[in-house]
Amino acid sequence: MSMQANTGAEQRNIEDRDVSIEAFCVTKADYYAPIFERHQRGQLPRWHMNIWGVIAPWLWAAWRGVWLMFWVSLAIDIIAIVCLMQVIKFAPLLAEAQLDPNANKTLIPRYTDWISTYGTIGWMLLILGRLWMGSQANRWYYDQYNRWRIDPTVASGVTPKRLGMGLAIILICSPITTYRATQLRLDERACFNQIRAAESVESLMAQYQLPDVATLSTTVRADATAAQALYDQLDAISDRTAEQNTARSAARRDARDLGRSADLVEEYAAITTRDRFDCFFIDDFPTLARLDPPEDVTYRRVTDDAGNTEVVAQIKPPVEGRKVTLFTYSAESIDISINWLRASFAGAFDAMTNVLRQSLIRVEVAFMQTPWPVVAFLFLVLSWTFTGMGTTAFVASSLAFLALFELWQIAMQTMALVVVSTAVCVFVGLPIGIWMAKNKIARFITEPILDVMQTIPSLSYLVPAVAFFGISQPPAVLATVVFAMPPMIKLTALGIRQVPESTKEAALAFGASEHQLLRKVELPMAVPSIMAGLNQTIMLALSMATISAFIGAEGLGAIVTAALGDAQAGKGLLAGIAIALVAMMIDRILRGIRNSFSRI
Amino acid sequence: MSDAVVEIDGVWKIFGAQADEAMAAIRSEGIGKAEVLERFGAVVGVKDASFQVAEGEIFCLMGLSGSGKSTLVRHINRLIEPTAGAVRILGEDIGKMRQDALRAVRGTKIGMVFQNMALLPHRSVRDNIGFALELRGMDAYHRAQLADQALETVSLHGYGDRLPSELSGGMQQRVGLARALAADPEILLMDEPFSALDPLIRRNLQDEFLGLSENLKKTTVFITHDLDEAIRMGDRIGIMKDGEIVQIGTAEDIVTAPADDYVADFVAGISRLKLVSASKIMVPPDAYQAKRKPLDLALDHPEARPEDDLDTLVELSTHSDLPVLIKADGALVGVVDKNTLLHGLQGSADQ
Repeated sequence: MSMQANTGAEQRNIEDRDVSIEAFCVTKADYYAPIFERHQRGQLPRWHMNIWGVIAPWLWAAWRGVWLMFWVSLAIDIIAIVCLMQVIKFAPLLAEAQLDPNANKTLIPRYTDWISTYGTIGWMLLILGRLWMGSQANRWYYDQYNRWRIDPTVASGVTPKRLGMGLAIILICSPITTYRATQLRLDERACFNQIRAAESVESLMAQYQLPDVATLSTTVRADATAAQALYDQLDAISDRTAEQNTARSAARRDARDLGRSADLVEEYAAITTRDRFDCFFIDDFPTLARLDPPEDVTYRRVTDDAGNTEVVAQIKPPVEGRKVTLFTYSAESIDISINWLRASFAGAFDAMTNVLRQSLIRVEVAFMQTPWPVVAFLFLVLSWTFTGMGTTAFVASSLAFLALFELWQIAMQTMALVVVSTAVCVFVGLPIGIWMAKNKIARFITEPILDVMQTIPSLSYLVPAVAFFGISQPPAVLATVVFAMPPMIKLTALGIRQVPESTKEAALAFGASEHQLLRKVELPMAVPSIMAGLNQTIMLALSMATISAFIGAEGLGAIVTAALGDAQAGKGLLAGIAIALVAMMIDRILRGIRNSFSRI
Repeated sequence: MSDAVVEIDGVWKIFGAQADEAMAAIRSEGIGKAEVLERFGAVVGVKDASFQVAEGEIFCLMGLSGSGKSTLVRHINRLIEPTAGAVRILGEDIGKMRQDALRAVRGTKIGMVFQNMALLPHRSVRDNIGFALELRGMDAYHRAQLADQALETVSLHGYGDRLPSELSGGMQQRVGLARALAADPEILLMDEPFSALDPLIRRNLQDEFLGLSENLKKTTVFITHDLDEAIRMGDRIGIMKDGEIVQIGTAEDIVTAPADDYVADFVAGISRLKLVSASKIMVPPDAYQAKRKPLDLALDHPEARPEDDLDTLVELSTHSDLPVLIKADGALVGVVDKNTLLHGLQGSADQ
């Protein structure tokens, strides 16, 4: 070092660095400083190893705060150990199979093969991983040192707290994973049987008022034997009276039930702590609570003789001893609430369905009863006016496709559905978008709802839609609206929020009221964004055409779903292409119209 | 000054959720900015500002970025509500106006020009200029006529049907000015109107605005961060620092008698040639004769008046070795020799 320190500047640099390495490492700076320097010069050989990085890389990394290395080394070691545990798992199975080599001709080579493969991989991972960690330790530590120089919050020095944290992580992850690797997969019913046994023991305990399982077991078994004896006795009588017959069947039922209970109690008594542990920790998340199912109610509208309608609840008796998980409990509760809503507000739902159906019929008439040359001509004129030659040619050939494959009327039906859905989206979405742009609380409420609307699988809300609105077009429109409205709302809000604050200020300075500001400044300036939203909405509405065919919507989507049901690939493909062409046609024309708006 | 068109009276603006509490604390305890920030999390934007602008006057508010000048000017049309104090426009307290009356004042009495033009990109130049008129419900025919007049005023005749994006920055700012003038308001608020333009166009527009101003006689509050511009444009200048007006006066007042070191620093680099008059630097004849040498009035001394600027004196001195005599109404009131002149140019006192 001293021989390069000719000039003052270099001298100072070297000294600075030494001081900072000491501040960074805190301990063993004498070891790290020359290594860092060699690494900087590019003179650190590939085989350079940090001995602690080889012996216990995770401990070293936690101690020094090199968390990337901590996780990487821990992962490598755990994978290696899991592989080695496979050897331990299969070795006894192999030994067992070898007791009878003739009977286990396929099992022996399979186990041998697994043991050698897993063993090799495990040892390789362990050894190579350690070597890699050893050579990487000081290099990663140097990278961390560099980051620390820029950002002092990066971990530096050595702290027992970090070491403790690392140990805690290792203790939580490693033992249970290792143990799991030595175990064969649990029997699927084992855990469920455990829960059932526990439940029946609990209820029997309450019934018999007994303190422990052992006495319970003997008592129940004794009762079962007694019931069986009674049955045998009655059964032996050849000419039974009616009374005796009843007593006999009662005794038979008792004997059966008590026998089952006794079996369950014995099963429960046989459950070991290890079985419980296995069920709780190493497989699926355990079932924590089993609940009584919700009351099974059906709501029905009944019209009496006087013409009054009222909602009547019919309650079915609960199934004896049925217990359900939280998931089933909630799902059944939702079913019941939907049923109640449907029965209580039938008028409102029917009215809404009617409005949708009527408007759909009008639009469908407009599309389907306008002669095809007129519709085709209008499409061509639109694309010619707003787009170029190429797009018009595309629109013409798409129309030709629909016409030649005799999909014209059906495509028009799909378009009617899209038009009505889009209209609903615009009329509802635009005001919500404006509200969302103007109001922070509205944004806070609406944003997660919109995300759910966009991501929830449409099939999962088709069922309630059918429950409320019946099948065919109206629920299809609603399902489409749910799916296609979010971009309309989001892009409207975005467009309005993007209007520069200074422009709004200028409008206010010239005496604009809030209303004038919205109508003359914000909405016009948001038009390009709103048009983009409209475009998105139409595309999404078209992509819902197939899904809504599942609940009876007519149109191109219905052909696709029918083709899916009948495994007719060609039919499905052609109809699918037709949907794509309709979508692209509308998209291109709308894009042209949008461009003519955004000369701004 | 009761004939003031714009009157700002003890205006405070404190930003933050606890502005009123902070104001009360300032009033009762006289705490400073740092303490306001610490105790109430509030920022003092404008601190006790008062000034009046007379009819037809151009009043420049000068200060660096963040000195609160833009905040202060937005109180005049109440785009920002003051925390304390009052703003009177043509004798009326704008803070007490109802919303519709306020909008009427904004639409008809006050025109505003913004640094970033803030034109509406989707409207033609003509519709932009007629915007305030449209908001007041004027019909399209009269709107177009007034807009074309305003376009003529800013020499952009024939550009009415363009979109703002088709115009250069300088032209856009002319449109901004035309928009402010279209409703023929009494008051113009100019918020750094020329700052975003390149120097040559800026100078052009300054000259043009001065010419317009002479004809139209609009009462103007002009914001700038450029002292040269303030001196060029302003009849009077108010210098702001950290939300406070530190000095108000004519350009000459500020250059010759800066109120504090901050202002002195500002004016240090300003050429005094056109700003300082002979009366500020001349030495009375008796004192001159006592200190230097007797004056021989028989010689051909150059002569000037007390209100002549240093530029004139330099011009006179270069043609003669004799000191310049300053005469008011034919009577000798002072003498300026080359020494005095050089000191005057530099801004230091003559010994």
